Amino acid sequence: MDKLTLSALQKEMMSFLLEDNKSIESHVVKQGNISKQLRLNIYKNAYQARLKEVIDNDHQMLGLYLGDDLFDKMATEYVRDFPSNYTSLRQYADRLPAFLSTQPPFSDHPIISELAHFERLLLVAFDAADAAIITRDKLQDICHDDWPNLVFHFHPSVQLAHFNWNTVESWQALKSEQAPEPATEKKSTWLLWRNNERLTEFRSLSEQELMLINMILSGENFSSLCEHLFTSSPDDDVSSLALQYLLNWLDQGILRDIT
Amino acid sequence: MTPEHFLGFGLGLRTDHFQEVIDTKPKVDWFEVVSENFMVDGGKPKHYLHAIREHYPMVMHGVSLSIGSTETLNLDYLRQLKVLVNEIQPEWISDHLCWTGAHKSNSHDLLPLPYNDEAINHVVDRINQVQEFLGRNILMENVSSYLTYTTSEMSEWEFLNEVVKRSGCQILLDINNIYVSARNHNFSALDYLNGIDKGSVRQFHLAGHTDYGDYVIDTHDHDVADSVWDLYRQALQRFGWISTMIERDDNIPPLSDLLTELDMARNIARQTLGQHNCEFINNG
Repeated sequence: MDKLTLSALQKEMMSFLLEDNKSIESHVVKQGNISKQLRLNIYKNAYQARLKEVIDNDHQMLGLYLGDDLFDKMATEYVRDFPSNYTSLRQYADRLPAFLSTQPPFSDHPIISELAHFERLLLVAFDAADAAIITRDKLQDICHDDWPNLVFHFHPSVQLAHFNWNTVESWQALKSEQAPEPATEKKSTWLLWRNNERLTEFRSLSEQELMLINMILSGENFSSLCEHLFTSSPDDDVSSLALQYLLNWLDQGILRDIT
Repeated sequence: MTPEHFLGFGLGLRTDHFQEVIDTKPKVDWFEVVSENFMVDGGKPKHYLHAIREHYPMVMHGVSLSIGSTETLNLDYLRQLKVLVNEIQPEWISDHLCWTGAHKSNSHDLLPLPYNDEAINHVVDRINQVQEFLGRNILMENVSSYLTYTTSEMSEWEFLNEVVKRSGCQILLDINNIYVSARNHNFSALDYLNGIDKGSVRQFHLAGHTDYGDYVIDTHDHDVADSVWDLYRQALQRFGWISTMIERDDNIPPLSDLLTELDMARNIARQTLGQHNCEFINNG
């Protein structure tokens, strides 16, 4: 028999770990009281346990929502269907929300996929790039004539999330060790970000604030934001309303420094 | 006399202890950080990394180099590693003499290599590429293993010596891994220690394992076992003053427990090698 090359050996080992192809057994030495199968299974068990642990760590409230048995079913099926091709385990469960939206029985309850999506966005906000933010002092330094054309940018940690179910409310209940309300349809949009103390925060958005945020994301300037406020809140003092939004964003640390 | 590169006695830096390290500046000579944990764009992990780096020497320890894989070297990973090296200026960089994936899939495990000439040639070539890319030599760590391939033609320590001799890398000798592999493959841990070329070892790892009777698994979730402390004494006798750290990755205890365990390592080194230069090195 020709000697197995390193490349062929690695292919057989990966095939065992991922697909339970047992041809690698003939290339493992029988030693002492431990069978070749047990030796190989130490690696397979470690592979599966490690990936399940990643999902568990990343999705703790989802785990509580599903309960142990369903969570284990979900993790087992995800590990089976999605071999990791990432260098870092940080990205391993990125495809979990999409998986849950199409895989029965999870897809029968869309809130499950939304919970997974929310928890992945929390991770993104947690370790997104750092950036200097605008402070009230810096805002005062902006020349009066520059204000109309001022274009704001968000801190890299800022995320927008749209939900069709009472997803965030359910997540919050689980986080505070309460039973969540039954899943109900409820459209909402949430803003997630990492605050000045590097803690992840989130809050729901009104339609008006969502519009302003989308305008900022589209690169529209301060003058356009004020025009929108004038149209959508004709009875309000637009200047003070704009200032109120702006100071709120500054204090929450979601606007990056203007360079 | 301690060698120039002796850093003293260190710990693996873990998330659970970030704030306490900042607040109390514990008696640790240096920290080892897992490189991949800080290959993120920003946020708390990086903030703490830089804050702690201001007070302690650091070494970087990777788990994803996959030096033995037959896939092309992952240049994206190496670029990220180099960026991190530039950021924290570690005393040295290490990874494992193993492979973690191939054929476009990653096991995220430290899989053993066959110990033969083909693997030596392959690994040496790749270590040379990595060292050239990083502009510095690296350390390779022996892994725990649970199987031997029929294509192995030499002992693990002969394999390791040859890789070191031909690549110029140095060794991060994991004492616990030697113990674990010796039990699993029924060889003498002392033969392993005595088989490693003197002068090639730059760092020791100590860690806990789980003993299942017929076999032992390298779990890093227990205190260092007495049998591993015994082997550590033997390693000190052979290699002298070598920078030593305790690697705890699961079931993480309070920092004070790890500091007590680290004092055990200090005391054993002092008893084995004499009093010289074994005091707390870091004054900052």
